[in-house]
Amino acid sequence: MANPYEILGVREGASKEEIKKAYRELAKKYHPDQYGANPLKDLAEEKMREINEAYEYLMRNSSDSSSSSSFTSSNNYNNTNNYRNTNSYGSPNVYNSVRSDIQRGNYSAAETALNSMATRDAEWYYLMGMVHMRKGWYDSARNYVTTAYNMSPTNPEYRDAYNTMNRNNNNYRNNYYGRTFRDDECDFCLKLWCLDSLCECAGGDLIGCC
Amino acid sequence: MLRFSLLIVYIKFFAKVERGVVQVIMFGYVMPYKMELKVRDYEKFKAYYCGLCHTIKDQYGNIPRVTLNYDMTFLAILLDSLNENPLASKQIICTLHPLSKKLIIIDNEPLKYAAQCNIVLTYYKLIDNINDDNSLKSKLAVKVLKKHIKDNALNNYIKDSLNKLYKMEKEAYNYNIDEISHCFADLTAYIISDYVKNNDELKEKLYWLGYNLGKWIYIIDAWDDLEKDMQNKKFNLINALYNKDNLSFQELTRKVKENIDFILTSCAYSCFTSLKNLPIKKNQELLYNILELGLLEKMDTVFKRSEFVNGQSL
Repeated sequence: MANPYEILGVREGASKEEIKKAYRELAKKYHPDQYGANPLKDLAEEKMREINEAYEYLMRNSSDSSSSSSFTSSNNYNNTNNYRNTNSYGSPNVYNSVRSDIQRGNYSAAETALNSMATRDAEWYYLMGMVHMRKGWYDSARNYVTTAYNMSPTNPEYRDAYNTMNRNNNNYRNNYYGRTFRDDECDFCLKLWCLDSLCECAGGDLIGCC
Repeated sequence: MLRFSLLIVYIKFFAKVERGVVQVIMFGYVMPYKMELKVRDYEKFKAYYCGLCHTIKDQYGNIPRVTLNYDMTFLAILLDSLNENPLASKQIICTLHPLSKKLIIIDNEPLKYAAQCNIVLTYYKLIDNINDDNSLKSKLAVKVLKKHIKDNALNNYIKDSLNKLYKMEKEAYNYNIDEISHCFADLTAYIISDYVKNNDELKEKLYWLGYNLGKWIYIIDAWDDLEKDMQNKKFNLINALYNKDNLSFQELTRKVKENIDFILTSCAYSCFTSLKNLPIKKNQELLYNILELGLLEKMDTVFKRSEFVNGQSL
């Protein structure tokens, strides 16, 4: 990998805050989504990957060197912001940007980022499932989420997503059956009455009182 | 005598039309659940349906009327519910139903839009039929419709999407069900959302509803025709995607039923939830009935879960 400081355009030994700021600015500039069908898009995608890698590298490695007290506040900020990092091993920061893309409704950016990744862990399958869900691609969404759930069955988030998919459908369906059930009861009574009449015609009786 | 037998033929033919037997394009799945519908809304639905038929007649002539279907009626009702204009209607005696008076909705922009979409969709469906089996009936129908196909953005979008779809269908084994149905879903979404101009937020909501509805229509249509298509060795999406081992119809349905059911229910549920987010000005109960209950009823009919089948013409 080339010098990550150079890629992000910051001086060596820059603080996390500075790196973050530089990263944000570059990400805004090179985000492949704003290029649409422009041929520059591929180039931007490549650049974005480079930036992501450099950013991750620096974020991972600068933390041990920065022991001065001035960093505590920014570290706190980090901890609250990136609390999800704990359950993703591969590329936590890519996952974070994917998550915020999904939250902002920028599904194609999230999908591009996910597709460019090599590691396919449970988090990857989960996020891909979420993207497909929002796209209305329910069949593949279910496959992805099921895979995530099977890979890491103890993760509450995956389990929730897995259950929600089926729960929503069931609630929707139950509302319909709830209403038609009343009809079924009437139908049953009607059938019984018909049966009774038929029996009476034939000389017998099914229900004594009528 | 001749006149009498002509009359018999006339009545028989239109009885058939009324039952929906003579339909060039078989997309009629989006309907209300009649049992839970208020009589007022039931009459309104019929008035839209007849109104659409007469709009087609006024704008395109008598022959394209056979292309009428329920899904286009839903399109008109949905789009019309976004404005506050009061409905204009009149009672007429229709040649298709000579015995009863019908209430129809007239002078309605969404109905005109739905009529136009109906004609264009039918036209390109027929072109595809000709490419498939070179049938004379389709060729004649295309001749009739051709003069109404104008070169505008909507028509071109429909043409391109359907061509893309038919091309994908020919090599269906390369794709999964979400990828293939995307074309038709996107087209439906485009048709529904393109009616609204200058309101991106509303457009987006309509797009999402349309996307899910289109996907639902496309897949339920394939599921409904599965047995028939397998017998006639015609293309069927589900057969092409899931039947790589040459299973029989029963085996295939057993294998994929749960999957298809899940996709359809997810689509229908999303349609219903996105309806809740729309600024509906009228027809609310009718629309809720269709998306909350009608879609599921249709699924029950197609999946043969319900005891009595009331899929016939309303």
